Amino acid sequence: MAELTDLVRIAVDAARSREQVEAYADETRETEVSALRGEVEGMKFSQGRGLGVRVIRDGRLGYAWAADPTPEEALDTVRRARENAALGEPDEFNGLPEAAPFTPIPGLFHEASAALSTDDKVRRALDLEAAAISSDPRVGKVDLAQVGDAVSRMAIASTLGVEAEYARTDAWVVVVTLAVEGDETQTGYSFRIARGLDLLDHHAIAKEAVERAVRMIGATKPQTAKLPVILDPFAASEFLGVVGGALSADAVLKGRSLFAGRVGEPVGSEAFTLVDDGTLQDGPATCPVDGEGVPSGRTDLFTGGVLGGFLHSTYTARRTGGSQRSTGNAKRGGFKSAPGVGTSNFFVQPGERSLDELYAMADGGVLIDDLAGVHSGANAISGEFSVGATGLRIRDGAPAEPLREMTIASTLPDMLRGVLAVGNDLRFFMGVGTPSILIGEMTLAGV
Amino acid sequence: MLDRDLVADVLAAARRRGGDLAEVFVEERSSTSIRLDDGKVEELTTGLDRGAGVRVVEGTSYGYAFSNRLDRDSLLEAAAAASAALRQGAARSVVDLVRVHGEGRNRAERPAGAVPAADKVAWLREVDEHARAVSGEVTQVTGIYGDSLQRRLIATSDGRWIEEDRPRIRMVAQVVAKRGDVIQTGWHGPAACAGVEFLDVHAPGETGRIAASRAVTMLGSIPAPAGEMAVVVANGCGGVLFHEAVGHPLEADAVDKEASVYRGLVGTKCASELINGVDDATIPNGWGSYDFDDEGEPSARTVLFTDGILQGFLQDRMRAAKMGVATTGNARRESYAYPPIPRMTNTNILPGTTDPADVIASTERGVYVSGLAGGQVNPATGDFVFGVSEGFLIEKGEITTPVRGANLIGRAIEVMSSVDAVGSDFETWEGVCGKDGQGAPVGSGSPTLRIARMTVGGTGG
Repeated sequence: MAELTDLVRIAVDAARSREQVEAYADETRETEVSALRGEVEGMKFSQGRGLGVRVIRDGRLGYAWAADPTPEEALDTVRRARENAALGEPDEFNGLPEAAPFTPIPGLFHEASAALSTDDKVRRALDLEAAAISSDPRVGKVDLAQVGDAVSRMAIASTLGVEAEYARTDAWVVVVTLAVEGDETQTGYSFRIARGLDLLDHHAIAKEAVERAVRMIGATKPQTAKLPVILDPFAASEFLGVVGGALSADAVLKGRSLFAGRVGEPVGSEAFTLVDDGTLQDGPATCPVDGEGVPSGRTDLFTGGVLGGFLHSTYTARRTGGSQRSTGNAKRGGFKSAPGVGTSNFFVQPGERSLDELYAMADGGVLIDDLAGVHSGANAISGEFSVGATGLRIRDGAPAEPLREMTIASTLPDMLRGVLAVGNDLRFFMGVGTPSILIGEMTLAGV
Repeated sequence: MLDRDLVADVLAAARRRGGDLAEVFVEERSSTSIRLDDGKVEELTTGLDRGAGVRVVEGTSYGYAFSNRLDRDSLLEAAAAASAALRQGAARSVVDLVRVHGEGRNRAERPAGAVPAADKVAWLREVDEHARAVSGEVTQVTGIYGDSLQRRLIATSDGRWIEEDRPRIRMVAQVVAKRGDVIQTGWHGPAACAGVEFLDVHAPGETGRIAASRAVTMLGSIPAPAGEMAVVVANGCGGVLFHEAVGHPLEADAVDKEASVYRGLVGTKCASELINGVDDATIPNGWGSYDFDDEGEPSARTVLFTDGILQGFLQDRMRAAKMGVATTGNARRESYAYPPIPRMTNTNILPGTTDPADVIASTERGVYVSGLAGGQVNPATGDFVFGVSEGFLIEKGEITTPVRGANLIGRAIEVMSSVDAVGSDFETWEGVCGKDGQGAPVGSGSPTLRIARMTVGGTGG
C-alpha cells in the first residue's frame, strides 16, 4: 500500500503546464464498541482511505475523488478532475495557496491512546453501561453506551509547493440513558471527546447522563410566555453551530449571512466574545494546517460583541480582496469533498460567573438543557430561530421542576444582543465550545 | 463484482467462531455532483467509491469490518476482524450461494451516467433562469444537481446471492429573496431512483420556480404565533411529520431497546381512526425504494396503522428473529462503511375522503403548513419537532397572511390521536434522513390533514 505522501506526489506530478494541481489524501482507522444488557452490542472496525484532487486551469476548477486508489487510479482521478475543470466557469479568484511554513502541534497524536487494545475498549464500553445502569433505581437500561477512537493521517501537496502531513488520535464516549417511572420514560445524554479513551472518565460521563434523565421525570408542558433563558453548554453549542455558518466568508460573499457588511459594528452584547482558533492546545479541532495546507490560526470574530471579521479560505480571501488573507479555515469533510469554509475550535470565551450566579439572574426563567430540530428551525440567512426544547424552571436561584414539549424562539440578532452573561463552565462538543449563556428574553411556547 | 468462490471463502472465514448469520456487502458507486451558484458553475465533482463490509451476527450482537480493497487478503482480514467480536464458538458452515433475482423496480430508462456533463450544467442554468424570472427580489440562486449509480452485491451465509443496481438523481434549488431588511429563503428538491427521464416530469426550471416562489411569498410574512392551536398540514408535508413522530419510534431497534413509545402497543389504537399508514419500499422508482434491502431481504409494503390501530414495526433480520416475527425488509445502510440498521423507506399516510378545501374551510383559527424544513424526534419519549419553512395563518376558514419562524412541537401518540380531518389528495416529499451517523434517502407522503390542537412555536401573539 502506497504511503499517503507518495499518493499525493503521484497526483501532483501529473500536472500539465498552466495547471495548478492539489492532492489531498487521508486514512482513518476507527474502532467503535457499544454495550447493551451487559454484552457487546456491536463492534465496528473501519479502515478507509482515499484521494481528492483539485485541478485549476484558466481559472476553472474541477474536483474528483477515489476511495483507496492504486497509482493508476490516482492518475485517473487527476484526469477526471481536469475534465471537470474544463466544464467549470472561469473565476479569477480560483487559485491554490502558496506554500507557507507551519508548526507541528505537539500531542495531536497521542501514542498511548493509539496503542489501546480492542479488549481494553470492550471493557470500557461494558463498564460504561454498567455504571450508567447501577447508580439510580429508575435508570435500569440505556439506549446507547458507546466508546470509540480513531487514528487518522492526512497528507496534502500541490504544484505551488505545499507539502504537509500529520497524524492525530481522537476518542469519544457517548451514552444515552433511559429513566423510567410508571408509564413515563425520559432520556439523558452525555458525550465527551479527547485525544484518547484513556483520557476520558467514563464513570463521570455515565453519571451525568443519569442525572440528566432522572431530573426530567414528571416534566410538564409550560405556559406560553416571554422570559429569561439559560442555554446550558449542550444547548448553547447547537445555537453556536448556527452562528458559525453565518460567519463564513463564503456565506457573506453569497449574500447568505445576516452579518454581511457589519464588520466593526456591535452585533452582540458586550458579554459575548467569540473566537476561532485552530491552534488551541488540546482543542478537539486543532490541526497544524487546514484542508488546503494553509497554517491554522486564530481569528477574533466577536470581541465584546463587536464583529471583527469572518472565516476565510484562500478563495474567499482572494475574492474579498484588499489585505484579506486566508484565516486557515478551508475545511473538508474528508477526501470526498473539495475544501469549503468552516470553523475549527470555535468557542465563546468563558466569563467569571458561576452557574449559581446565572440562576440568580434568571429567576422565573428556564434552564434549557437540550434543543431539537435546530437544523430545521434555525435559519442563519433570515436569522429566524424557533426550536424544540427541554429543560427546568429556575426558581429561587436553582433549577426546579422539569419542562418538556415546548419551543423557544427569537431571532439570532436579538439572541446575540440579548446575552446578559456567560458562565465560567466552558465545554467543547466536537469543535464548538461554550459556557452556559444567559439570554434576557425569548418566547417560550407551550400551552 | 466478485468471484463466487472468494465470497464463499470470506463468509466461511466470518463464521469461524460461529454466529447466526454472516454477510458480505460489496459496493461500487460512481457519482457526479454539480453546483451552480451566482449563475456560475462553482464546482463539478466526480467520485468513485468502492468497498466491502463483512458482518457477523449472533443474537442482537454483531461485529462489523470493512475494506476499500476487494482482494482476497483484504476481505479475509475484514472477516477475521468482524468475527473477533463474537465469543468463541464452533465454526459454522455456509450454504451454497444461489442468485435471487429482483423485480427491477428502480430501472433507469436513460441512465444519468451516459449523459454528458454539459447537459447537466444546462439543466442547472434552467433552474437559475426560472428562479430569477419569478421576481426581481430574488437575490441568490443555488442549483445543485446530483446523480449516482450504486452497484451492490450481497451474499449471506444462508445462501443468498443478490445483485442490484440503484440509480439516483436529484435536483435541488435554494433561493434567497430580499425586501428591505427582510431576507427569506426557499427550497425545493425533487429526487428519485431513476434516470434522467425523471426530469421530464420534474423539469429543472419548475424546481427553480417553486423554490423562488416560496422565498418571495415569505417576504410578506409576519412572525408566527406562539401557543396551542389547530394546525392544517398540506398534502406532502404530513408525510414528514409522520416520518418523524411515528416512523422512528416504530423502527425495531428502538423497540428492542425499550426506547420506543410504541413498545407493547401493537394491536391497540394509538392514532386517530382516520390514520392509515404504510412504509412502502416497492413503489417503482421511489427515492426510498429497492428490490432487496441491505441485508438481502425482499422489499415490502408494510402496513403500520389501520384505522388508527398499530399493526407492527419496521424490522431487520436480527430484531425480527428476537421478536419472533418476519423481517419487513427495512435494513438499510449508507454504504459499505456501515452495518445495516432498521430504517424507513417511503413512509406514507394514505388519503381519506374529505375534500382538502373543506379541511381548511372548517378551520376557524390556526396555522396552515405548506413547506417544511425537516424535523427530529426522541423515540423514547415521543417528543418531536417539525420545522416550518412556509406557513400561513388560517382565519375564519381562509388561508391568509404568511408566517415565519414557526416550529411545531408535540408528542407522537397525542398528536396522531388528535388528527380530526384527512383529505382526499396526496403528495410526496423526498429527503435524506439521518440516524446513528448514517444518511438514508427516504420518501414520505400524505394527504392534507388537520391536527385539532398542537403547539406552534413562534414569537407572535
